[in-house]
Amino acid sequence: MMKIIKLVSILGLGLGSGVISALWMSGLIGGKALDSFADINAGGWRSDWSIGSPAADPYLRARVARHGLLALSKKEAVYFTRNVDDEGEPLRQDCQYELSGGGQDAMWWSITLYDGDSRLPMNTDNALSIDATKVGGAETWRAMIAPVKPQDAPYWLSSNHAGQFDLMIRLYRPSKAVLDDPETNINPPRIQRLGCQQGSGA
Amino acid sequence: MKKFFLICLGFVLVAFTAHKFTLRATPSVIMNKAMQKMQERGVPIHKFVLGERTTPQTQTVVRPSPDLAYSICMYDFTKSKQPLEIKAAYWRDYGSISFFDARTNNFSTVRVGVDGDERPASVLLMAQGIEAPANRPNNEQQIISPTARGLVLIRRLAPSAETYARVQMVSKQDKCQPLTE
Repeated sequence: MMKIIKLVSILGLGLGSGVISALWMSGLIGGKALDSFADINAGGWRSDWSIGSPAADPYLRARVARHGLLALSKKEAVYFTRNVDDEGEPLRQDCQYELSGGGQDAMWWSITLYDGDSRLPMNTDNALSIDATKVGGAETWRAMIAPVKPQDAPYWLSSNHAGQFDLMIRLYRPSKAVLDDPETNINPPRIQRLGCQQGSGA
Repeated sequence: MKKFFLICLGFVLVAFTAHKFTLRATPSVIMNKAMQKMQERGVPIHKFVLGERTTPQTQTVVRPSPDLAYSICMYDFTKSKQPLEIKAAYWRDYGSISFFDARTNNFSTVRVGVDGDERPASVLLMAQGIEAPANRPNNEQQIISPTARGLVLIRRLAPSAETYARVQMVSKQDKCQPLTE
């Protein structure tokens, strides 16, 4: 009887180790950020360049299924995320930031704010993104990121109820140059921290 | 010593198999859950449904774009292998039809309104092992689904309430239905 219990325990332990190690290595457990697996860094905007590629390994497939379900192939769209400001500090709801940039070498682009669960933050501010149609043909643009709309902000992304958040830039139908050499050909927007609420740290 | 070695071997074999199985099964489990949720919300099989304008309150998948309008058609070839006729009406701005299998793979994407072509983007979606019928329109693409179930997603650029209202009108012409003889 003891022998059977020992055998079942060892097999159970093996089973558990196999399942947990697979989920951990895929980034599905263990609290790893989506961009911690990135292999492309374009001015702080990071992307796992295997996303949308048929050669994606099983770990990446599992990760994309969880964090980017229904993501498109790379030829159609590429995605970059960023969860820190220009000084490397995590993006937080209680701080205010200036996001600035220019055009992108793609048919259309957008930048969207997501909370720590990869969801749109639960607010009703109708200020979730900035995109090429909003800024028109402007060569440069700037937007404010804050939990309440700042006065005189040309564009606003609301971080209300976002907690610690990240930004995702999408480039739809990117040019060949972007696909071939994204680190050189992405025009990476800057994120400057303007200030934080008193008592909330840096 | 031999007994210890066998125990270690058994542990490693079980762990390795469980590791591989979990990796392989995870995308299918996630897709299955997503499709189940869609069905619970009333998305039927073999029919496009335009999702509500994406807001924090209406989001159904992770990282949705609030600037895009999404029309979804779930397909299932397990009961009938009749090919599906997929059509997406012309949209002047960005538009695409993307196909996802039951393991979440985006196995094909067709562009809407390429080079100003105002005809609907047309696709004949078929189960594996099914031959395409003769005399199909020459602008139709024929695509084979790697799995029996999956979903088709039309994305259209609609960053404002006004453009989303236009999508509501245009999307009435979208089609996702079994081919009639």
